[in-house]
Amino acid sequence: MTWADLSLIAPELALAAAACAALLQDAWATGPALESRSRGPAAAWIALGGVCAALLLLGVRPAGAAQVGFAGMYVRDGITRVVDLAALAAAGLGVMLSPPYLERFRLPAGEYHALLLLSTAGAMLMGASRNLVLLFLGLEMLSFPLYVLAALARRSRRSQEAGLKYLLLGAFATAFFVYGVALVYGASGTADLSRLGRAPDVPLLHAGVAFLVIGLGFEAALVPFHAWAPDVYEGAPMPATAFMSVIAKVGAFAGLLRLFPQALPQLAPAWGQMLAAIAVATMILGNLAALAQSNVKRLLAYSGVAHAGYILIGIASGGPAGSSAVLYYLLVYVAMNLGAFGVLLLLERRGEEADRVEDLAGLLGRAPWAAVVLAACMVSLAGLPPTAGFIAKLYLFRAALQDHRVALALVGALTSVVSVYYYLRVASVALSAGAADAVAVRHSRFAGVGLALAAAGVLWLGIVPGAITALVQQAVQALR
Amino acid sequence: MPALTHYLVLSALLFCLGLFAVVTRRNGVAILMGIELMLNAANVNLVAFNKFAAPGAMQGQVFALIVITLAACEAAVGLALVLAAYRSLETVYVDEINVMKW
Amino acid sequence: MSGEAIAFYVLAAVTLGSGVVVVTSPNVVHSAVALVPTFLGVTGIYVLLSAEFVAVIQVLIYAGAITVLILFVIMLTEGGTGIRARQRNEQGAIGAAVAAAMAGLLIAVAVRTPWARLPGTLPTYTPGAIGQSFLGPNLLVFEGTSVVLLVSLVGAIVIARKEE
Repeated sequence: MTWADLSLIAPELALAAAACAALLQDAWATGPALESRSRGPAAAWIALGGVCAALLLLGVRPAGAAQVGFAGMYVRDGITRVVDLAALAAAGLGVMLSPPYLERFRLPAGEYHALLLLSTAGAMLMGASRNLVLLFLGLEMLSFPLYVLAALARRSRRSQEAGLKYLLLGAFATAFFVYGVALVYGASGTADLSRLGRAPDVPLLHAGVAFLVIGLGFEAALVPFHAWAPDVYEGAPMPATAFMSVIAKVGAFAGLLRLFPQALPQLAPAWGQMLAAIAVATMILGNLAALAQSNVKRLLAYSGVAHAGYILIGIASGGPAGSSAVLYYLLVYVAMNLGAFGVLLLLERRGEEADRVEDLAGLLGRAPWAAVVLAACMVSLAGLPPTAGFIAKLYLFRAALQDHRVALALVGALTSVVSVYYYLRVASVALSAGAADAVAVRHSRFAGVGLALAAAGVLWLGIVPGAITALVQQAVQALR
Repeated sequence: MPALTHYLVLSALLFCLGLFAVVTRRNGVAILMGIELMLNAANVNLVAFNKFAAPGAMQGQVFALIVITLAACEAAVGLALVLAAYRSLETVYVDEINVMKW
Repeated sequence: MSGEAIAFYVLAAVTLGSGVVVVTSPNVVHSAVALVPTFLGVTGIYVLLSAEFVAVIQVLIYAGAITVLILFVIMLTEGGTGIRARQRNEQGAIGAAVAAAMAGLLIAVAVRTPWARLPGTLPTYTPGAIGQSFLGPNLLVFEGTSVVLLVSLVGAIVIARKEE
């Protein structure tokens, strides 16, 4: 290891350091009482400082050629840059939106922030991996904290149930992933992603890749590996749900990008069809199931399944167009999904989460800004102009058409039309008159800034997408 | 002398035993045992491939060691979750854990 | 039949035989105890594959730590109450079919793949080579694993400590 290697992973190091600081601060503030009493925002400030430091370290590094470190394990190139940006945006917004909730429901703030930061570092490692071993480690570092975060509300039976279900199914998927790594290693004699392109086209390689897709598809909640999503989203404490809904997608799709368009382009003819079929099933099932939901968390869970299907269009199409569309969509998805969850986090129904659609009634009268942000995010999730969701879907469908996958683009467009109904139903309830009496709105400056940032991202990426488009296109230049 | 295929068949059978346990067991702890069997099967594969297919480097054995370590982590977190779920839900049978619809 | 082949078949029989007990026993404590011979059988397989260091770690972590942990949790939950509940769900037939299909598929793949052997030989002293690898090319993974250990430490304590 050299200083050059260390400077490559500087953003991850900043997050790990901030996580340790948050844990130590919590222990120091708690003293000998054992039960965490630090309700103050100190841990949140430390976590935010870590995220800002990581962003700064990411920004000062010139966006030049790809740099490889740690004996070829780790690569910092354009894709790493965008994935890091998405992961850090998820972490930053997740930290800013949660303090009111953590305080209200007395969740341990130190552990919450430390786990959130380490999970982010895991997603960033997945985006930077050039070796299947590192990809596996990133997957574990991403998912372990999420299991714990899902079960963090120990007074809630639903939270315990969510944590257990998530872990059992997640560990099951991980076992498939490990077996897949073993088979690919056996078929090619190497775990180095940059050398898999020369692997012989034997059945063993295909079996291994199928197992890897099961492992990553679980994390991304692709059909048929999505069964965990609704229950875990509903049961987990809401800040954990919000964070996991975006970070798991960022990590999983970063892994799929590293695997398919980059490492195994020779499998594109066989696997493009397979992935396209999964994408179609995911979009249809996710959107249809979301139609029937009356709980906003469950609705957003199925919406997350549907969006995983949309993003998979880009992976199935492959090439620079598909890959850049995936990266753009990930950034947009972080902003719009966390914006939507951020508004829900401000609400409270008699000491519980306000997670029913009707709890949003009359929001416009009491918290006009929050209602407008929620409506903007819902419009964006539905993929309507002038928001970022529209542009992001446009890029994906264009990539599909360029790859002559008309059916894929068509299913994507049709299911988007279906999704307009349930997203706008939520938005119209929030903008309607009348009030749900039992629902209180908590105001928090910290969360307000986070919501403003998310909304600004949704509008900025939708109205003037030029700068970010250039960034993601530059990121995939290395692909042919 | 057993060839690579022998080890792969053993590993495949062990993996499928674990798979069977995960699908059919009701007890959360028993499901975790099935997952451990699946991870062991993957490790047998890794070590066998290291010897027969890529003996130039130690990557397979090193990865097997990492998998063993992370499997221990997974068992620790998983068993903690089972214990916590038993305290609040008073059961370890996953088909009885249905505050929400499964 | 050579000695190595006999050893392989004996170890495979021990592994799979006790594995069957693990997954089918109606008593979860028997399942947990049957894990020990399964893990020890796999240990023997590692020795046959000249991975002595992995074999030692397998005994320490799997046969030692994980099995004991599992037994403890069984005792702290249902096992400690003496209730003997049904351990299998109704998906026995489906599970058997899925597992058999998967096994058939994997075995077919293993048998039909032509094997290309890369050049090189395993070092005679594997612990040294593994150490070199962990502090050389695999350093990042080694450090990352320690972070995951920290996560599971914090996580297990946060989840399992008693509510005040």
